[in-house]
Amino acid sequence: MRTRATLSGIFASVAILVVGWQAGSAAVTAANGGPTASTTTSTGTSTGTSTTTAPAPSASAAPTTTAPAAAPATTAKSGTFTGSDVGTRFGNVQVKVVVADGKITDVTPLHLTDNGGRSVQISNYAAPILRSEVLSSQSSQVSTVGGATYTSEAYLTSLQSALDQAGI
Amino acid sequence: MGSHVFETMGTVVSLAIADAPDVDEAVAAVERHFGAFDGRFSLYSAQSELSRVASGQLALTASSDELRSTYASALRWRDDTGGAFTPHRPDGVIDLNGTVKALAMQAAADELLDRGFSDWCLNAGGDVLCAGNQPDGKPWRVGVVDPADRSALLFSIPMDGTRHAVATSGSAERGDHIWTATAIDRSYLQATVVADDIETADVLATAIIAGGPDALASYVQRWSIDVLTVARDGSLSATPGLTAALDRA
Repeated sequence: MRTRATLSGIFASVAILVVGWQAGSAAVTAANGGPTASTTTSTGTSTGTSTTTAPAPSASAAPTTTAPAAAPATTAKSGTFTGSDVGTRFGNVQVKVVVADGKITDVTPLHLTDNGGRSVQISNYAAPILRSEVLSSQSSQVSTVGGATYTSEAYLTSLQSALDQAGI
Repeated sequence: MGSHVFETMGTVVSLAIADAPDVDEAVAAVERHFGAFDGRFSLYSAQSELSRVASGQLALTASSDELRSTYASALRWRDDTGGAFTPHRPDGVIDLNGTVKALAMQAAADELLDRGFSDWCLNAGGDVLCAGNQPDGKPWRVGVVDPADRSALLFSIPMDGTRHAVATSGSAERGDHIWTATAIDRSYLQATVVADDIETADVLATAIIAGGPDALASYVQRWSIDVLTVARDGSLSATPGLTAALDRA
């Protein structure tokens, strides 16, 4: 799995952020009547995005394979592992990971629901400097992958099942 | 080292834990905790206790201690976040989805620790709670997905010291899981909160998405958290504590 964004980019933003937060802190006192939000599923047809009790995306989402129980974490493992095919109301999502010697070398989406317009749109306005390697050395060392639930809904489900198969 | 995966609460839970003779029992107990929370609080199931409260079949005053204490806890979070987090849907229904997954994760954690399991990592639908270390003695390391590219990681962070929990919330293109009484702040596409406990991380990640930079500025002063946000223009911002953790990486 790749990592993105430069460390220098983070440093730069931190500088901005620290200034911003210090400036803001004097004035901020969590005003009442501010925006109010929480997580929810509004309907039973939600894709099960972030929410804790949304219906399961589909029966096919169930990862049925668990990692080999006895494999120590240091065991080199190689191969291609295909995640479960996860259904959403926008279509199916499935990913494939390529693992070499226990490290993820590539993640390929086999299907993505909205692979076209939206992704391109976001990428276009994302500052490119913030999107290059941050911690490339860490990319293959993560124990687990988190993410915003709308993001994770299907992609992470599929990715997670692939990683579980790979035992990493 | 085994990875145990099960579906609950409409998502997938993955538990990495060292093999032991009684690990299957422990995993089953963890699964039961999630199932219990799901059964009591899910609004998609008309039979759940919370659904019966929502439909008026059950008076709140007649509901279980568990339901009322969970509701009370959510109300405290509402007050503590200046209203950015709330258990009240715009239509008046009490919805506790904003906290129950974290509570279920904590119950699972307590169960594992009670059973003597000190090293494990629990991932419930993208929110992560870890204890101890990996089998090689290194801290668990949590990667967070880039909202602009689902196949890329934004960063990864080790779970060391007192940091045990990572929660991420996003509004992005589908804001339908975050509601707002007024206008939701549109500053952030994604917020990741690293905290000592999962409830704080989960609630504040949502509240930062809802409340924006002003909320963030307030929360980082009042809670021991580290935050990384992805703004709408793609720019990243991180608290100093988070960059220090990244430096140690």
